[in-house]
Amino acid sequence: MKMSPQDKKLDEMLRSSTLVAGGFMGSDRRSVFEVIESDAATLEKAGLNASMVARRMRELTAAAQAGLGTWVDVDHGRIRVMSEDYKGVLVCPWGHAGHYPKRITIVECPETGQTLTWSDLNIHLIEAHGFFEGQGSAFRVEPDQAAAMLFEKDWD
Amino acid sequence: MISFLVTVFIVSLIAAVLALALVVAERYIADYGECQITLNDKRKIAVEGGKPLLSVLREEKIFIPSACGGRGTCGVCKVKVLDGAGPILPTETPFMTKDEIAGDVRLSCQVKVRGDLSIEIPDELFNVREYTTRCAGIEELTYDMKRFRFELTEPKSIDYVPGQYVQLLCPRYKGSSEEVYRAYSIASDPNEKGVVELIIRRVPNGICTTWCFEYLKEGDTVKLNGPYGEFRLSESDAPMVFVAGGSGMAPFVSILHQMKHNGIQREAVYFFGGNAVRDLCLIEQMKAFEKALPNFTFVPVVARPEEDDHWDGETGLVTDAVKRKYEDLSGYEGYLCGSPGMIDAAIKVFTSLGMPDDKIYYDKFA
Ligand SMILES: Cc1cc2nc3c(=O)[nH]c(=O)nc-3n(C[C@H](O)[C@H](O)[C@H](O)COP(=O)(O)OP(=O)(O)OC[C@H]3O[C@@H](n4cnc5c(N)ncnc54)[C@H](O)[C@@H]3O)c2cc1C
Ligand code: FES
Ligand SMILES: [Zn+2]
Repeated sequence: MKMSPQDKKLDEMLRSSTLVAGGFMGSDRRSVFEVIESDAATLEKAGLNASMVARRMRELTAAAQAGLGTWVDVDHGRIRVMSEDYKGVLVCPWGHAGHYPKRITIVECPETGQTLTWSDLNIHLIEAHGFFEGQGSAFRVEPDQAAAMLFEKDWD
Repeated sequence: MISFLVTVFIVSLIAAVLALALVVAERYIADYGECQITLNDKRKIAVEGGKPLLSVLREEKIFIPSACGGRGTCGVCKVKVLDGAGPILPTETPFMTKDEIAGDVRLSCQVKVRGDLSIEIPDELFNVREYTTRCAGIEELTYDMKRFRFELTEPKSIDYVPGQYVQLLCPRYKGSSEEVYRAYSIASDPNEKGVVELIIRRVPNGICTTWCFEYLKEGDTVKLNGPYGEFRLSESDAPMVFVAGGSGMAPFVSILHQMKHNGIQREAVYFFGGNAVRDLCLIEQMKAFEKALPNFTFVPVVARPEEDDHWDGETGLVTDAVKRKYEDLSGYEGYLCGSPGMIDAAIKVFTSLGMPDDKIYYDKFA
């Protein structure tokens, strides 16, 4: 895919360690737009889209806040959530105004032991850009895992 | 149609060439000569123009706190520029409140020195120095917290008020292509002037904490600058409630040393919260402070102790433990350090128990 100079700059920024350790693309060789497109397709199969996922993530982060760093049960104990605040803020690699606390939310399904982790910046990246990060990135949110864990959808 | 496209192409090309020329001119040709910076209406310094204010001040050994190495992504490097900075830039506005914009506050890394400037900075910043240190010890406190001991080599001693913080320069390494600064509260005994200890909690995929935990070794040279910050004990005699969690322990260690040395006998109860018993640390040191300071009590609080922890102390949220102990905090002072969420929750509890807002002290970390 041919990229405009702006897109190229964005791609370089996402692959560099300028904003977060190791960047946002992990070992993914695809362009950021290919990653976005393929994740959107995965979600569509589950009848979801990026805004729905981001909204649900925001809700769960809010629920976790009440625990002040301890587990909070959600969906009658089907999952539990915990958030950890670290001091400081991050900015969006697309250059948007605003900054996102270095807050991490962890969702765990006690029955399966499966976990899903995101930071506040992930919520923005998903909501505003449909970007779940590249394969191998420390904070990639796998769309199929998000669909299964966050929405009580059991599908393959 | 074709001639329209050709025109568009030519206009775009001319615009691109002009923009490039401007960048080149700015970089290689523009000579702003010597500029004068007036500091706090008192001191004047002559500097070479053309560079960002933050770096120009750093060259003059005036350290403005910054967390992103001057890339305009942390919003920490704020100074008041009364004159000479030109209009505020789009790269600055996201980090500014309306009041700050109206009050001429600017991001010093984004303001270029192109002429004479008049700026205002807090007087304490004139005491900030850069320290070359040697990492003299790394101690594991919990599974995700370590205490780092830095011996100062140049300059050899530091004066700070317990509660203040320093900035640690994290060099480039495999996980980070840029140097970054991160703030850490000083956790040492202020009488040991040749040493700075920091308690650092590992942050998942964090640039600086990954370096500290995986790359930094005893004997390595590390640059610190500081001290910064307003967090400190008041001079009153009021009884105090300290609340902290995680690495929020750091400034209280230094404050407790200060209380011990200066014979400060104020009542102080320190609630330290963790999710599990494995999050608690420095219990022995806190017991020693309890012995040395008869009016000091340490109250560890574990949110969800496991059965085999055999925990018989306080449980639940740290703020619940505060509520259980006190009915009225109107005559007290509150000191908080930890995550923004914990600070907000503790402020709510303190005020609901009658503690006046202006008696609640905390460092704004976010
Ligand atoms: C005044 C002050 C005092 C402080 N004192 C202390 C102290 O005493 N002890 C202490 O431990 N800390 C302290 N801090 C916090 C410290 O300055 C750092 O902010 C903290 O250590 C994290 O730095 P880092 O470089 O490791 O993390 P960073 O790299 O800045 O941030 C890591 C976070 O970014 C997010 N992130 C990373 N990668 C991604 C990705 N790919 N996608 C989405 N999100 C991602 C995650 O939330 C992750 O946790 C203090 C802060 C201030 C302002
Ligand atoms: S140094 Fe980070 S915004 Fe200026
Ligand atoms: Zn954005």
